[in-house]
Amino acid sequence: MTGTLRPVLLIARREFASRVRGRAFVVGTVVVLVLLGVYAAVIATIASGDDTARVGVTGPAIALTGPLERAAPTEGLELTVVPQPDVATGEAAVRAGDLDALIGGEPARPRVYVESEPDAQTERVIVDATSSVARDGFLVARGVDPAALDAAVAESGPVIVAAEPPDPQAGQRLGLGLAGAFLLFFSIQTYGAMVAQGVVEEKASRVVEIVLSSVRPWQLLLGKVLGLGAVGLLQLVVLGGAGLAVAGAAGILVTAAGLVSTLVWVVVWYLLGFALYATVFAAAGSLVSRQEDTQSVLSPVTITVLLGFVVGFNLLTYDQRGTPITVLSLLPPFSPLFMPARIALGVAPAGQIVLALVLTIAFTAGVLALGGRIYANSVLRTGARVSLREALGRSRG
Amino acid sequence: MLEIDGISKRFGSTVALDGMSFTVRPGELYGFVGANGAGKTTTMRIALGVLAADAGEVRLGGRALDAASRRRIGYMPEERGLYPRMAVGTQLRYLAELRGRSAAQAREAADRWTERLGLTERRGDEVQRLSLGNQQRVQLAAALVAEPDVLVLDEPFSGLDPMAVDVMSEVLRERRDAGAPVVFSSHQLELVERLCDRVGIVRAGRLVAEGAVAELRDASAVEVLVDAPQAPAGWADGVPGVARARAADGGTVLTLADAPHTDLEATLGAVLDAARRTGPVHEFRRRRPTLAEIYRDAVAESQAEVAA
Repeated sequence: MTGTLRPVLLIARREFASRVRGRAFVVGTVVVLVLLGVYAAVIATIASGDDTARVGVTGPAIALTGPLERAAPTEGLELTVVPQPDVATGEAAVRAGDLDALIGGEPARPRVYVESEPDAQTERVIVDATSSVARDGFLVARGVDPAALDAAVAESGPVIVAAEPPDPQAGQRLGLGLAGAFLLFFSIQTYGAMVAQGVVEEKASRVVEIVLSSVRPWQLLLGKVLGLGAVGLLQLVVLGGAGLAVAGAAGILVTAAGLVSTLVWVVVWYLLGFALYATVFAAAGSLVSRQEDTQSVLSPVTITVLLGFVVGFNLLTYDQRGTPITVLSLLPPFSPLFMPARIALGVAPAGQIVLALVLTIAFTAGVLALGGRIYANSVLRTGARVSLREALGRSRG
Repeated sequence: MLEIDGISKRFGSTVALDGMSFTVRPGELYGFVGANGAGKTTTMRIALGVLAADAGEVRLGGRALDAASRRRIGYMPEERGLYPRMAVGTQLRYLAELRGRSAAQAREAADRWTERLGLTERRGDEVQRLSLGNQQRVQLAAALVAEPDVLVLDEPFSGLDPMAVDVMSEVLRERRDAGAPVVFSSHQLELVERLCDRVGIVRAGRLVAEGAVAELRDASAVEVLVDAPQAPAGWADGVPGVARARAADGGTVLTLADAPHTDLEATLGAVLDAARRTGPVHEFRRRRPTLAEIYRDAVAESQAEVAA
């Protein structure tokens, strides 16, 4: 057993070490991390940018200060009201960009000075404030206490009884699911292609003959898939962890909305998906002898995965409970990409998860047998591209 | 003892090997000689398990080779290749460990062989940064680093500079003297003649002649070189026992017909008499065929057999 397994581990260790120490891995990971950070920063800025305003008041409109400050929270605006000595000073401040608006004149019908047009949120707050001033004046003139009326109104309102209350964390769940699907797609494509590249490199440099005089083809294939799969997993964990940290810091991800179980599922499906795709990529790579030809045998696979990914990604965003995404997530080649997302969204029944797991494992076993055979038959053939028919012929002993 | 026993292999409609058999004994340096496409590389690949034979068996020490016993064979493939971006030392240790050596054994052997082959300064360099000559040395180290019990080398001398040829010859002899069966193929027949204890000549997937170079010589037809400067062309045509005559080596080379040894003296006497009748004779001696000539004859004979 150790005699059979040790070469596999040696090969895996070589693949892992040569990739992780390679510049491409470090640079690639750092670049993706920086992009993630920039993205999060941009989102945070856009999200918080519109929520504050500075408004100046002058003359009789100073009476609006209280109503403005009361109206702001209902519009979700963080408002600062700054008294101004006169209209000219206030207008200058608006022009200079120190104030978003200046309010002057009669409280019920003030003049609002802005640079070009008022911000919609600010305008609604001002309208709220002026109407409450007008309403209070009207009520007081007729002997009604506005505060008493407000109290009475506050107690009214319907009580909603929902059969299926919306999930307050739906947004976060969708975000997690989509991020998971994207990371899986990215990892499988990148590291699957690396497996193919490694296979072709060994063929092109002819070192494969020395290696295969020491180990069996399946040991070489398995070692490669394990080693590169581990590199991909490492990067997935680094990127996923960093993404969550950034999201947490930016306040996008407030609570752990099934976070741990989502992460576990992403890893489980990554392992399955990687075994599946890496074998396909290795078999495809073994058909050619030169790096230049690699793309031609990989494109059918990558294009299929890409199409599936684009379709599934859109379905997840717009129709996450529909039949199409359910079917897609049950089809073995696509299950690893979309099942974890559906699990994160909470729309995958346990029966479907089990079915997808069983189908994917069975499919992967088939791909391993077939891909291993193609690999063993083609990996020593140099020169012209090996046809699939030849590659599927009698395996060597 | 490495036994290649009745191996056959077809690639589609091409017969690559047709009952290839030979034996390399412990402490024997065996030269494997033949034209391109004769089946040398295919034989070696099958011995290493890189290809599967259609029929026949390869045995080591009387037992059919399996994955474990194959790891005891040091192999240099015809298509040279190493990981281009891996450092020399790391690569040699890796290849030794793949063949079942412990990490410590691998480290020790990698250090020893790089030193022996003059690569000490290069241990940390990527293979792709080495000169072609040094890459060949690393390739030899790769075949030796797992301390093999048997060596199978496909064209180990091709592309080597004269210094490296000497190092390679020395290493092969040393392994042979240590009791290992060593087999290598080569087109450099003088080198094979000089180094090998026994030679196998292969043509069209079969062994057509085998033996020590001296044995092969004795088995081949007797040749006599005669330098008789005044002799006209065709002077030896009528002499009994002479099969062929050709001009070579500054005289006439006569090939004698196969005959019992008792007749040899008489035939030689008749030839010398015929030569002296033409004028002075400057040289008259038994000529030793080179391995190249033995090889040509063996291949031509087997071709004639096939045609007949």
